[in-house]
Amino acid sequence: LRKNLSTNYGKNGEEKAMSSRDKILIQLREGKLPFSGISKPDSYRAMVPIDDKTQPALQSQFIEQAQMASCVVYQAMTPEEAIETVLTLIGEEKTISSWDPEHIPIPELAEVLDNAGITCIGQDANVRIGLTGIDAALAATGSIVMLSGEGRFRASSLLPSVHIAVMTAEQIMPDLESWWAKQKNAGLERLRQHSNIVVITGPSRTADIAMELVMGMHGPRELHVVILE
Amino acid sequence: MKINSKNFIPAAQVAIHDPDLQKAVSTGTHSGFTKRQAAMFADGHEHGEAMRQQAATIKRYSLSILPELLEQAEENMQANGIKVLWAVDAEEANQHVLEIAREHHVQSVVKSKSMVTEETGLNHTLEAAEIKVLETDLGEYIVQLGEETPSHIVVPVVHKTKASIKKLLIEKAGMPPTDDTEEMAKFARETLRSRFLDADMGISGGNFIIAETGSLCLVSNEGNARLVTSIPRIHVALVGIEKVIRSVEDYATLTQVLPRSATGQIMTVYTHIINGPRLAGETDGPEHVYVILVDNGRSEIYTSDYCEALACIRCGACLNACPVYQITGGHAYGWVYPGPIGAVVTPLLKGLENASPLPYASSLCGICKEVCPVDIDIPRMLLDVRRDLVKMGESDLIWDISIKLWAQGMRSERIFTMLGQTASLGQNLISKKLAGPLSGWTDYRSPPIFAQKSFHQLWKERRGKSNEQP
Repeated sequence: LRKNLSTNYGKNGEEKAMSSRDKILIQLREGKLPFSGISKPDSYRAMVPIDDKTQPALQSQFIEQAQMASCVVYQAMTPEEAIETVLTLIGEEKTISSWDPEHIPIPELAEVLDNAGITCIGQDANVRIGLTGIDAALAATGSIVMLSGEGRFRASSLLPSVHIAVMTAEQIMPDLESWWAKQKNAGLERLRQHSNIVVITGPSRTADIAMELVMGMHGPRELHVVILE
Repeated sequence: MKINSKNFIPAAQVAIHDPDLQKAVSTGTHSGFTKRQAAMFADGHEHGEAMRQQAATIKRYSLSILPELLEQAEENMQANGIKVLWAVDAEEANQHVLEIAREHHVQSVVKSKSMVTEETGLNHTLEAAEIKVLETDLGEYIVQLGEETPSHIVVPVVHKTKASIKKLLIEKAGMPPTDDTEEMAKFARETLRSRFLDADMGISGGNFIIAETGSLCLVSNEGNARLVTSIPRIHVALVGIEKVIRSVEDYATLTQVLPRSATGQIMTVYTHIINGPRLAGETDGPEHVYVILVDNGRSEIYTSDYCEALACIRCGACLNACPVYQITGGHAYGWVYPGPIGAVVTPLLKGLENASPLPYASSLCGICKEVCPVDIDIPRMLLDVRRDLVKMGESDLIWDISIKLWAQGMRSERIFTMLGQTASLGQNLISKKLAGPLSGWTDYRSPPIFAQKSFHQLWKERRGKSNEQP
């Protein structure tokens, strides 16, 4: 059964004739390709069926699922209310890791933080609070989608022990399937301009010790989601 | 990793008589199995089954065009700025990593969970070159401290109790004594955090590669995979060639079926889509990203009758469900992949003659196929591997002779009848415990009781009667 592929190597000098890439691809194409009777799915079912896709229904589903994933969710009717929530969560901290203000959907926030004497830095391993916006939220799974980019530091949602994500209600979409459909419509080339995409569902956790759940293993221990209506 | 699968039966016997292992594995597998059932069928049985079949079709269709997808994935990854390397075998894969490490003057490496690097024994290669390697998944970290190997694809220390983990952390890592799981995890977090920040290179595996976008996809709960792929200046991913899928739609299904099957979560905490190194204007993320496409025996499985085994997405559901794995744990299987899928792929990847007991480590109850998110027919493949082993002459002489005699008896009415009568009459003369090589059979169960009259005889008698009374 096991055939030694390296027999394709010749004696000195001929080695360059066939790269490992070629060897692997030739071996794969050696016989008849498998599963020839299988065609790709005509249509795809979504993992979570959603009956009601109106905005209020999606919002309550998002909140419920995010809470099940151990997020703490806040609904703010006004920007002032959202700012109040963020300030309370920051508490006594004077330095936080934060995305640039234009990527967080409360225009007044930067000034308020500045006036409160809170310094926002991009990344530092020692800060306790990370503050970010999001790209989209998924109702089916209570997830938030974050794209990397200029002023949208990965570290802010990764190194601190508390992550505060600020979003607007309009950013809620049904599910991962519809998020990808939207990206495809806009052109996947555009999405590939982001070096890193992460879908976050709740705070970091582990169950490696005797299946006991512990929050905050390597990433944040708390994930606070502030929804601005 | 060295293979020790020939030793399955003695190793399994040791495991069965280890009360700590029994307790730990039983808790772990039962928890995994129950949560998987709940998550897969949260929206009803019909829907869960349909999703399983959708995932099965997606993986099979991707495999049917695999060479083309690999070329497309390579092209798109390169366009994204990822450097793509190919490795025929374990040695070449490790060599690629060493060369990258040398080129970038790497002194320390942090790793997130990767089964492929267990296959290639990468840690040993790096350590031999005096490069420090640290496993960062909590389970893998414990495995590394104990100088063990993972015993489960998803939960590496499922075989360990809390007490033995505590002992290890105190002795090997200097943890202050505590019985609190939270404190243990906190200690590991703090110990590992500084190492993340100092590391030059991060090494990960890969759950999927999306061909149409050239994206490397990972899942993790702890966040260590995010640190490994974001903090060090170099990121290297070792990925089996069978992990390439066609489209983003395929990905959306698979990345949700995977955590449901693995841990019963609807999504892992971090679901990563990595498109390449940091771009202009970004202040974090690696400067270089490498993907090493590893064959290491897969292309031979691909052209064999066992291609379906390559559909596996490494969720571990078949391990949790398997009545054999549940009592032997993973180490008895003697190589990287334990449980039902391991009993199939270990002989295929490492040579049938080196893993001959594994295909027999199954009662063929079929639950591995039933829980598989991509519906791999593991029981059929186990039978096929057994057949191949017999063809190779890798079978017990006693079995060979017994089966041949049995076949003879079954083909002759005279011998069959005679054997039945002998058994029926003779059972009163012998003890209820069989002796010699047959004793294993009656140690744990009673021998069957043969009927006084065979079906054949009864049929003759009754038909005779009914003929008398038309």
